[in-house]
Amino acid sequence: MHQSSRPHRPFPPPAACGPSEKVRAIVSGAIAVCLLGTLLSIAGDSDSGSSAIVRTVKGRLFSPWMTPPWLDHGFDYRLTYGAPEDAEHALEVRRHGDDRVGPASLPGTLTGERAARWERLARAIALDVDDADRDGLLAAAVGRGMFDDLGGEDVTVRVLRTLPTDRGGAAPAATPAYTARVRMARGELQLLRQEARAEVAPLVGPPAPRPGGPTKAVP
Amino acid sequence: MSTRHAPTAASPPAQHGLAAVAEAWERFWFFPADARPLALVRIVAAVAALALWWSYAADVQAWFGPQGVLAADTVRQWRSPAGVSLYDVATSALAVAVLFHATAVVFLLLLVGLGTTVVAPLAAVLWASLLHRGPMLAGPADDCLAVLLWCLAIGPAGWHLSCDRWLCDRAGRPTPPGSFRAAVSRGLLQSYGSAITVAAVLAQLKGDAWWDGLAAWYLAASPQSRCSGLVPLLEGSEYLTNLLTHAITAFEILFAVGIWFAATQRLVARIALVAWPLIGLLAGMPVWGVVMAAFALPVAVGPVNHGQPRIGPADERGSPLPTAAHPSAS
Repeated sequence: MHQSSRPHRPFPPPAACGPSEKVRAIVSGAIAVCLLGTLLSIAGDSDSGSSAIVRTVKGRLFSPWMTPPWLDHGFDYRLTYGAPEDAEHALEVRRHGDDRVGPASLPGTLTGERAARWERLARAIALDVDDADRDGLLAAAVGRGMFDDLGGEDVTVRVLRTLPTDRGGAAPAATPAYTARVRMARGELQLLRQEARAEVAPLVGPPAPRPGGPTKAVP
Repeated sequence: MSTRHAPTAASPPAQHGLAAVAEAWERFWFFPADARPLALVRIVAAVAALALWWSYAADVQAWFGPQGVLAADTVRQWRSPAGVSLYDVATSALAVAVLFHATAVVFLLLLVGLGTTVVAPLAAVLWASLLHRGPMLAGPADDCLAVLLWCLAIGPAGWHLSCDRWLCDRAGRPTPPGSFRAAVSRGLLQSYGSAITVAAVLAQLKGDAWWDGLAAWYLAASPQSRCSGLVPLLEGSEYLTNLLTHAITAFEILFAVGIWFAATQRLVARIALVAWPLIGLLAGMPVWGVVMAAFALPVAVGPVNHGQPRIGPADERGSPLPTAAHPSAS
């Protein structure tokens, strides 16, 4: 794999002091497959997506045995882009329409890796909106799981997002990134997603009269 | 016809090149290596595993219990279809608690090195099971620890600094001087350490923050960062912010590449023992930093090989073994 910086004297052949030829061949094959699988995972599991060929080869030949041992990962640890996805996320669950019971806020005052896990859950709820297969799954589960804690079967699940602070700027306030009402109705769990209010173009009045031009009555 | 002479009269250059690659492959993966560095990796991995296990401890029933927020059927729908977890069959609170605490016991056994041959793979299986039970809770430290545990499961991680060693010494059984399994384990640690770093650098360089030099600011200003004391400094100097950002990228590239060259690998690995934990602290992921440093540990502390291995006592198969470490550690 690499060369020694010192004068190289010959090693005894591995056959003389290591495993047999057959074992070396089998282990070599296993290592090669393992490294190829890792390469395909890195190529195929990043946020940038993947080509059809990488997706197919990895999905059919490698994912079935790399996923159970938790090795099928892209390891694309960007740490931060300063983007909304990198913002702090927090989960807030409260009884719907009842402010007498305080909301359950997570991670709240927790710190460290424990807080990071709750935050990852909150982020997953917010980002699942873009995934048709997962949208609402976690929010419904979290809402249902909180029924007992909040003493009611109608709760509001919110994910609050605090954007990264710009250099020299003030810390921005938390804004809702996801809101849904989760309730049990006639024995059936319902999730009613509240869409964020869409941004609309500002109302504009009639065009101002050009200086010197004819004036027109506004109806 | 040419002043160049062939490496050997019998082999053409291409054949010689292939033979050289094959020889390098054999030396890298199969030359018996010292298992002491693996023992250090085992101890670091076990401590990191216990820290990460602890981060689940207070909420394990709130997440995975029968009344938890992550019901098993929901998680099965959410995760990859190939995902599988021992917790899937733990449907009661007691079963979840037993499985979860058994994981801690296994990590403790891994730490002290008792029954390591069985405990190391068991630790990897139990850790993967826990992660598959709640994949949305897992972070970079969890992923990298899983890789580390599987690498340890392959090698003789309990041959040194362990209760296993103590028991063998009491029984009068000598320590084998090296093992090809240690070489494979060490090679995988080196390969994965490099591959994970390459993937991280590629991901980072897709974002503007790593090009305009502000990424270090965003990391330090995050509430999770353990380096919030840097914020006033970085706020006062854009150049310092840029320098820190580019230093992180430069280190990662240096680590991913430099760990493969004999002239640089020891130095790079020793820098990594300090740099990865610092990056972890800055990013608010200290355990991840420690786990990444563990990938560099065998290269950083492995014995120096000067090219001529000493022949030691026989290994398990009865073959004479060199006592020197892996040939890559030069």
